[in-house]
Amino acid sequence: MSRARFGVCLVAFLLLARPALAHHSFGAEFDANKPITLTGVVTKVEWTNPHSHFSLAVKDDKGRTVTWVLTGYTVNALYRTGWKKDVTMKVGDTVTIFGWRARDGSNSAHARDVTFADGKKLYYGPPAGTGEGGPTPAVKVP
Amino acid sequence: MTRLALASIIAIAIGCSACAPPASTPQDAKASAPADGVPRTADGKPDLTGVWQGGNGRKGSWEEANSGLGVGGTGADPAAPANPASQQVITEPAPYKPELAARVLESFNKRGIDDPAGLCLPLGVPRLALVGLFPIQIVQTPTQVVILHEYMSVFRVIPLNAEHRTDVGPTYMGDSVARWEGDTLVVDVTGFNDKGWLSGTGTFHSDALHVVERYTRVNKDQIDWEITMEDPNVLTKPWTVKTTLMLREGTRLQEYVCAENNVETAHYEKILKEGVPYRR
Repeated sequence: MSRARFGVCLVAFLLLARPALAHHSFGAEFDANKPITLTGVVTKVEWTNPHSHFSLAVKDDKGRTVTWVLTGYTVNALYRTGWKKDVTMKVGDTVTIFGWRARDGSNSAHARDVTFADGKKLYYGPPAGTGEGGPTPAVKVP
Repeated sequence: MTRLALASIIAIAIGCSACAPPASTPQDAKASAPADGVPRTADGKPDLTGVWQGGNGRKGSWEEANSGLGVGGTGADPAAPANPASQQVITEPAPYKPELAARVLESFNKRGIDDPAGLCLPLGVPRLALVGLFPIQIVQTPTQVVILHEYMSVFRVIPLNAEHRTDVGPTYMGDSVARWEGDTLVVDVTGFNDKGWLSGTGTFHSDALHVVERYTRVNKDQIDWEITMEDPNVLTKPWTVKTTLMLREGTRLQEYVCAENNVETAHYEKILKEGVPYRR
């Protein structure tokens, strides 16, 4: 296969291959261009479907305590990622999260990972942009 | 006495030395282990029995295949990128009728916020098995194949060499019957409702949808899964997607109750109503 033809085929493959559905709508609600790191105290843990949540009391730059809501995997995925309900994360724990902020500017984010006080780090959610339909639509755009 | 030694003695006792299992699971105890790695049932068919993961082409156990990279990242290294193998190969763009393609594009531009998955409903065929974070389990017998989906706790009971049933209405997962074509299991699915997506954001369909799946176990670890979708109400011609199911030995299915405490539906409706700048 010539280099030019290989290039055409590669482009075609990249256009037509898309990530498998993992979770819906993370990419709609949260902005992959707005990464954020937060450290705070856990105030609430919700093992809910289709996405889990927890709340974090975070001191802002003026010293005020602000509550952030973090969104992540569904419950089954958390179990397979190494989480244990009521054991891995408890109210009162101090943790650091990395994630991406909500598009509406509210104090909520999609958390990719959580680092605990002992240094242990676990995934809490999928990569940025998950569930927003991939880079190209399923139909050809004229 | 080890379980393996015990199983070997039992295999010899029943006069089937080829049945001596290499491992200790019931699945392996049932299957032989030919050179191509494809286990076969007593009637000579490829044995599809096992726990499988769609949407992730990496070989290995669930932990091996999803650690570090992960489909959406179920693993030990949060810094790692998304799994590049977590892709399905679409042979062509979905061939929607020109006047309907805009509806698919609109969902894409909304970043899939109108995804039926947010409503905790079964996602249909083939989309349900493409949810990479959730395994499926295939149970094969000489007369039927059962597919258990952890996601939404959905099952498919697929009789072999049977006619489609006529005593049911349209459903999310449709009505499936199967037959063997050589070493490929061909599943014919009709009787869908019009509430799901095919594969990809916004790929709506009508109740005229007809799906033909072809499952070919090519080695111990992999089933090639080809899906052809026909819907004369929305598509101009059949649409084919090629992907894989990967064996995840040691993985066991869990209960999944999506509807309990589902806060997402109201949340997404609120986002849609209030016009948060989610659009592309």
